[in-house]
Order: sequence, then C-alpha cells, then structure tokens
Amino acid sequence: MDSYLPIFVLLVLGVLFAGLSFVASGMLAPRKHPTAAKLAPYECGIVPDVDPPQRFPVRFYLVAMIFIIFDIEIVFLYPWAVIFRQLRTFGLVEVLVFAGAVFISFLYLVSNGALDWGPVRRLMPAVRTRTTASTVRRVAARAAGSELPGPDAPGTGRAA
Amino acid sequence: MGDPLFMNGVGLAVLVIVIVKVLVAFAALMVAVMFMIWFERKVISDMQARIGPNRAGPFGLLQTLADGIKLFFKEDLLPERADLPVFKLAPYLSIVPAFLAFAIVPVGGVVTVAGHTFDLQVADPPIGILFLLAMSSISVYGVMLAGWSSGSKYPLLGSVRASAQMISYEAALGMTVTAVVLITGSLSTRAMVISQASHVWDWNIIRLGVVPFVLFMVAITAELNRPPFDLVEAEQELVGGFNTEYSSIRFALFYLAEFMNTITMSAVVVTLFLGGPDGPGFHFLRWLWPILWFIGKTLAFLFVYVWLRAALPRLRYDQLMDLGWKRLIPLSLGWLLVVAAVLVDRWWGLVVAAGLVLGAVVLSRSALVGRVRTDELEPEATS
Repeated sequence: MDSYLPIFVLLVLGVLFAGLSFVASGMLAPRKHPTAAKLAPYECGIVPDVDPPQRFPVRFYLVAMIFIIFDIEIVFLYPWAVIFRQLRTFGLVEVLVFAGAVFISFLYLVSNGALDWGPVRRLMPAVRTRTTASTVRRVAARAAGSELPGPDAPGTGRAA
Repeated sequence: MGDPLFMNGVGLAVLVIVIVKVLVAFAALMVAVMFMIWFERKVISDMQARIGPNRAGPFGLLQTLADGIKLFFKEDLLPERADLPVFKLAPYLSIVPAFLAFAIVPVGGVVTVAGHTFDLQVADPPIGILFLLAMSSISVYGVMLAGWSSGSKYPLLGSVRASAQMISYEAALGMTVTAVVLITGSLSTRAMVISQASHVWDWNIIRLGVVPFVLFMVAITAELNRPPFDLVEAEQELVGGFNTEYSSIRFALFYLAEFMNTITMSAVVVTLFLGGPDGPGFHFLRWLWPILWFIGKTLAFLFVYVWLRAALPRLRYDQLMDLGWKRLIPLSLGWLLVVAAVLVDRWWGLVVAAGLVLGAVVLSRSALVGRVRTDELEPEATS
C-alpha cells in the first residue's frame, strides 16, 4: 500500500475530529459574557500595563539561521544515504569534504561565541581561597573583636 | 502498487481497507493517549509515594475521559489581545500533524484478510521517515503561533523558547535518522523494519553502535518538550508556557497532541532502532505476536519518559542549547560519517574515527575560545 491515500484520509479525519470538538464545545460550554479582567492577558492577577515585548534577543534569530545551514546539510544527506551503497568510496569522500566544510564553519561560529547563552562565565572565581577552615577562622576572629584580615577579606584575595 | 497518487482510480476493496485501517489507527491512538495520560499520572505518583488518580473507574482508568468531558463543558475564552484567526488555527496545527505522524509506523507484520494482503501500517509512502520529520516540523508552527497569537507575555516567551529548542534538536534528530537510512538504503519505514528482522544482532541499535540510539532518544525528548527539556512550559517561570491563554477544548487539543506525539515518537524509536514488530513468535495466531512485541517495546519507552520526568531536574536554557548544538549535532554528524566509512571499508572506518576524535578536540578548544571571547566583549561583568 505504497500510497498517500491513507494519509489523506487520516488528515481529513484529524481535521474533522478537531472541528467537531469545537462544535461540541460550542454547544456544551456555558455562554457567558466574561468580564474585562477575565479577557485580559494572564499575569498572575496583576493588571497588565506593558505590552508583550516586540523585540527579542538576537540569539534566537541567530539560532534559526544556523539551523537552516544544518537543515540544508540534512536535506543533502538523505538522498546520499539512500544511494550510498552504490556510491561507495566516491560517496564517502564526497560527503567527507562536504561535512568538513560545514564543520569548519561551525567551528568558526562556536569559537566566536555565537552559540553561547546565559550568564557570562568568569574565568576565575571571585574569591579563590575561601575554604571551610578560612571561614571558621574569620568568624572566630570577628567574634573575638579583632578584625584580622583573613585570606578572603575584601581587597586581598580577590582575583579580578 | 507503484501508483502512489491513484491516477488510475481506486478499487472499492482498496478504499475499504484504507478506511478501516485509518479508523482503527485513529481509535487505537485515542485510546492509547487516554491510557498514556493515566499511565503517566499513576507511575509518577507511585514514584513520588502518592496514590494518584483512583476515583474514576477501576484504578482511576477513566480519569482522562472524565477530564476530557469536563473540558468540553468549560467556557471557551478568547483573550481580547489575541490575534483571533491565528489563535484559533494553532490547535489544528498541533493536533493534525500529531495524528498524521503515526501513519508511517509499522505496528505489525503482513496479514491476509479475504484475499487481500496488506501491511499492518496505515501508510507506507516511499518518503517514509521524511514524512515524520515534516510533521514534527509543522508542529513547531502550532506551538510558535499559539504563543505568538495569545498577546500575552508568558506564552510568547514560552513559544520563542520552544521554537528555538525544537529546531535545535531537530537538526540532531535528522542526522541520527540519516544513520538509519544509510544502513537500510531506503526511506521507507517498512524497509527499515524488514532489514532489522530475523535476529537481535540485526537491530539498528546494535548495528549502528548504540550512540545514534542514545542521541536520538535525547533529541526526541527535547523535540517533545518532555522533562528534563520542558522549558517550554516551565511552570515556575512561565505559568503554563505557550498554552497559558488557552482554555476549554483548545487546551485539550494541545494536551492531546502532546501525548499523541509522545506515543508516536516512542513507536518511532522502536521502529528505527529496535526492530519494530520483530521478535520471536509462535505458530498459532501468527499475526498477533508482532503486534504484541511492538506494543511491549513501545510501552517500555513510554515508561522511560515518565521515569525521566520523575528522576531528572529541568535543564537551564544555556545548558539546553549547549547540549544540542555543541554536543549532539557534531557527534551525530561525526558518528554518521564513521558508520558510512565502516560500510565502505574497515580502514576508512579507522581513519574517519580518528578524524572524529580530532574534531572533538578541536571543537572543545573552540568552545573554550568562544567562552573567553564572550567574556572579553563584556568587561563590565568581570567586576
């Protein structure tokens, strides 16, 4: 049964199911006139005063564009995979060259930080020498009233 | 056969078979979703030492049905800032691909009823697995448009996250599927299942060396927005994610689509890597055993999804993107090349495997460079 007819029938059935659900819901659901507060965007009870953001971090668009590169690569890979057994060594070398080119551009992207998200990572921790022992010593010194500059006191142990 | 668009007309018997198959698949899918939701709630409550649903029907089996009927009776709210045509279209874009994707999964062997021989599979188009990828791409639109058209903050954030996540992992998904296509030499799911038949050692999970299977599992978990990749509906941050503004039957359709996709993807893992309906059978009821094997294997994966939800905390967004782009995509591409090389020659395999290791080293170095660069760009942040 190598045909698309069943898929088409299933498509019709799926659309019918969704459509009839809406019809049934329309007949069964209560018809009220909701208040303005109910119609407003849901913000956990706070009255919304700012519109949803029109702009988004550019990284999302960047990801979409990089995705297209890989998607095109996949589009090329599928026909290649189907006839690979006939192509043998030629097919392998050819796709190695292709994958190599994509991989090098991918390396360029990664090494430019194009795919880095989230908080900026510090290269060194702000306080390097803070240990259990040093904290105990510092607290003890403070309790004794003498502010001895410990290894993690401000200004001494901090690596910028 | 050999007439995919039925240019020469359709016989009545063929039409009857098609309609019966579609109706059976449709009903089976709906019942499966109903029990899957019950199964998930029950298993996760067991894992959390709770009782879970136990009121509606025996063991709470009818809980999902009760919830569904309840949603029909709920007020259908259309938010005032919503873009109404798109808002109404989005549930269709979610549910219809979810139905269609299951069509290509082979659920059993070949049976003969009243002189007509057919596969136990809704459809076996020549493009096979590409159809699945197409459907999973279309369902991204459902999520994206639902969030965008709601005219509200949380759904918008959820849907933008969702689309970035889904397209990121779709690249890895596509490449791991390519490895299966490579070893089968065909896109048809039936051909994939046949090429794995006869012995456990012929299953693709073994033949391809486990790695594509693991990558595929991770990629589809992210593609389905299941925990630990459910940033789309991270309740603590985004209320309900892209479907926050949806209520009543529209919400039910999204929910249905989500679980239907989970079932379909489990079935697809079984098809691609675990031999589909392959397994030992007996001489009586010959047609039944493959179906039972298929259902058993699929159930195992459905359990794994619930288990993941109970066991793992949610990833942070940057971790999610790092995992997808810097690990899954390069590794799936590299492994695909290694598989191709081994198919040609053992020595080619060794050469390409060495190349894979070298590539991994270079990639980790460039990831480090990228991180340092980002730091240099924002000198203020380093006090």
